[in-house]
Amino acid sequence: MINLYQFIPEIFILSLILLTLCFGLFNKDRAISLNTLGFILLSILLLNYGKDFYSSTQLSLNTINLFVLSKIILSIGSIVFILLLKRPLKNENLYRYEYVLFILFAILGSFVLISSNNFLTAFIGLELQSLSLYLMAAFNTKNLSSNEAGIKYFSLGALSSGFLLFGISMIYYDTGSFNIQNLDNFTTISEIGLSLVLISLFFKVSAAPFHIWTPDVYEGSPTISTLFFATLPKFASLIFLFRVYQELNISDIKSLNYIFQMVCAISLLVGVYGAITQKVIKRLLAFSSINHIGFMLLGIMSYQFMSEGTLFFYLIIYLITTFGIFAVLLNLRTVDGEFTKISQLNGLRFTSNSKSISMLVFFFSLAGIPPFAGFFAKFFILSASINDGFIFLSIIAVLSSVIAAFYYLTIIKNMFFNKLEIELLEDNNKTGKVIFIASGLIITLFFIYPDPLINLVDNLFK
Amino acid sequence: MSFPILSLLILTPIIGALTLSLSSSTQLKNKTIFLSGLWITTGEFLLSLLLPIFYDKSKNGYQFIEFHTWFDKFDINYYVGVDGVSIPLILLTTFLVPICLLCSINSIQNRAKEFVIYFLLLESFIIGVFVSIDLVIFYVFFEAVLIPMFLIIGIWGGENRLYATFKFFLYTLAGSVLMLLAIIYIISKVKSGNIELISDFKFDQQIELVLFLCFFASFAVKVPMFPFHTWLPDAHVQAPTSGSVILAGVLLKLGAYGFIRLSLPFFEYASIYFQPMIFALSCVAIVYTSIVALRQLDMKKMIAYSSVAHMGFVTIGIFTLTQDGINGAYFQMISHGIVSAALFLIVGVVYERHHTRMISDYSGVTNVMPKYSFFFMVFMLSSVGLPGTSGFVGEFLVIMSTISVSVYLTFFTAIGVILGASYMLLLYKNINFGDLKSDIKQLADLTNIEIFYFSCLAFLTMLLGIYPKLLFEMINKSISLSII
Repeated sequence: MINLYQFIPEIFILSLILLTLCFGLFNKDRAISLNTLGFILLSILLLNYGKDFYSSTQLSLNTINLFVLSKIILSIGSIVFILLLKRPLKNENLYRYEYVLFILFAILGSFVLISSNNFLTAFIGLELQSLSLYLMAAFNTKNLSSNEAGIKYFSLGALSSGFLLFGISMIYYDTGSFNIQNLDNFTTISEIGLSLVLISLFFKVSAAPFHIWTPDVYEGSPTISTLFFATLPKFASLIFLFRVYQELNISDIKSLNYIFQMVCAISLLVGVYGAITQKVIKRLLAFSSINHIGFMLLGIMSYQFMSEGTLFFYLIIYLITTFGIFAVLLNLRTVDGEFTKISQLNGLRFTSNSKSISMLVFFFSLAGIPPFAGFFAKFFILSASINDGFIFLSIIAVLSSVIAAFYYLTIIKNMFFNKLEIELLEDNNKTGKVIFIASGLIITLFFIYPDPLINLVDNLFK
Repeated sequence: MSFPILSLLILTPIIGALTLSLSSSTQLKNKTIFLSGLWITTGEFLLSLLLPIFYDKSKNGYQFIEFHTWFDKFDINYYVGVDGVSIPLILLTTFLVPICLLCSINSIQNRAKEFVIYFLLLESFIIGVFVSIDLVIFYVFFEAVLIPMFLIIGIWGGENRLYATFKFFLYTLAGSVLMLLAIIYIISKVKSGNIELISDFKFDQQIELVLFLCFFASFAVKVPMFPFHTWLPDAHVQAPTSGSVILAGVLLKLGAYGFIRLSLPFFEYASIYFQPMIFALSCVAIVYTSIVALRQLDMKKMIAYSSVAHMGFVTIGIFTLTQDGINGAYFQMISHGIVSAALFLIVGVVYERHHTRMISDYSGVTNVMPKYSFFFMVFMLSSVGLPGTSGFVGEFLVIMSTISVSVYLTFFTAIGVILGASYMLLLYKNINFGDLKSDIKQLADLTNIEIFYFSCLAFLTMLLGIYPKLLFEMINKSISLSII
């Protein structure tokens, strides 16, 4: 007898999907407000009763906390995202209610992925998530590059799903079980299988050298979809990667551990070297996200020191910063459509105070310059990794962040030092403005009053 | 819990900056903005004067301590306090910032509000470095200083400002991140970021050497020492006058301060082990950059190279590891902070009038600007190290202390003094004497404001030169504690 109690969050989203399907046909705006309300309700539910949902399972307290916290973050992220999406979609003439549905499916997939203890369930979650993402990439059907992005994403994603399935079947052949927790006696076959699983997950989080799709998909997709790719699904896949790493004790398996470290180092370096020469801001952000994935992998590997706290803290700060940056980008338009090039940011300082200063904060934070929160995120990850003995990787990480500072500074240079060339149109999107100002404030004020965020992460892992 | 003067010192400029930024920019005139900035920084200066008044020189250790837990879980605390080593530098900072604002009232026309805000932020971050006695908060302030400085050079700098400001930022950052790793390692070993606790901790000798080099990377760039100094001339030449003043006056001292405050007490074995390397680099810095300075065509570049040479004295003095040496080095730091700031102001004065920094474009300035030449001479002589000026005391003590280490070292430092005299005198001669060029004729002499701040600086130079005990009383005890 399956206890349905633990599926309440998923069932909740499923019913939201059904309701949206009914309402959305008649009134798009109402579908959006319905979903905002729904996710607010879900967040409150998870915050208050999250741990009770899983109390009937035999999971360890730590795992339950992990589930609850990541689901809370996902649903809060969805609220922000749904609030943000209306205006940009309208600008592109893409305002259709299906878009909200894709988000819901992707979030549902992410929820399933995070809490799955079985490789097959994880596969279903991952596919549910990815299929929605492919559609979101190609959502601008009249735009050639959007179509290209969708097809590229789909074909490469299908390939990686193939890897995943093949890996899972090898593990099943070897151990006779799909269970994630139950893999004690490793042989070479399940090692190979597991490495295939890891490769597929690396692909999903766009860790180098499995990152080739990222810049193209980021660039081609509508900006609002890019924001989604960069944040919530990636977060979910990363959490799953973390769980695989932890549950299967990959740190004890020499070959896989080696792969992990290599991928981490390569991501750190490829991210920065790729980003230096970029002229299109979304491509630059794609490469910079690869660099940040390197940091997160470092955080995954060194979880033994301060538990999951450091990784989660980094993820939260990264999500907030990314939301902020994209909220600014979505608020800017050139006369002939979306703005794409970094050079179009020239002289933003003269046209908009709030946008330029928030961008300054975000990019200095991404570069890891104190006193912004990004510094502390990196600081904690590095503390954990040095304590766990990954000194070489830490050196690579900090050196890569010096190089990364160069291209973040270039963007700041364009905004603050260069003369105004093309005046960007102000898209008077109030929610967007609220979002980037709020995230800017969080990033800045964290320095003065770190307790709320630290406690949030801390309490859930006690 | 006493009066939180140090937090107030850090917060006053920040609050000032916030109020300024919230006021609407269109209504305020540039002059009003600068005046409000001046009020804030002067208030800050008066506030900082409380420190030497209430500081108890007879006691060991830090005073005015404030302690708040910051990151409970990681044992990182907001822990600030001052001792004799930090107070003079805090005073120097609060003294120079109003002068920076004063000298830019006319030269900074566009985006004046931003300018004042960045300077206020810069001031509070610098003070933050000097008061922090927890490693993490030290690093936070040490790095945060880069942000306003990057913007100041980048927005108001000369024609090649982007190159200069990027070089400045990336050089410093590259050095600092290695220090960050070392700091993290130390905290993971000692389980605390408290500077006093770390001083008592004994590291493995091999590890200590590596840690020392990590700290060295950061401070050597900041000082700057010989192979890492190339960012400095660029940054100085491109920065606006006020930027150069604060850069030469205070930012360069952050590195030397770091050596005295962190490197010496933490890494006793390594400090002795690396002594020869630092002496060699400093000697090269003194002789090589002096020779380079001799051949410069640009006034600012010449003074920038002379800064590198003078900071060479500081590093030599610090690593003689004797009381006299460190005292002398510290004195040289303060003196250089005043004198080089003044010299950059001197360059700024003629640059503002004539819009060129080339030495060959000036000649016979003394005919039209007698007051200017007078102040120029005072600071030039102080930079050369004439007895009676502050430049003399520091150099003398450093050279004297080098005798106990090695006579060769004395030889090279003494050569540095001679070379220093030759390029400074050459600069003075070329600009002030000679035929009066026709386009120099219409240059106006110093305004009252300029006379005001030059006399303040000149007074300080003379005061410290004639009565150096004023400073030594303050620092003696604290420095004797940091010697091994």
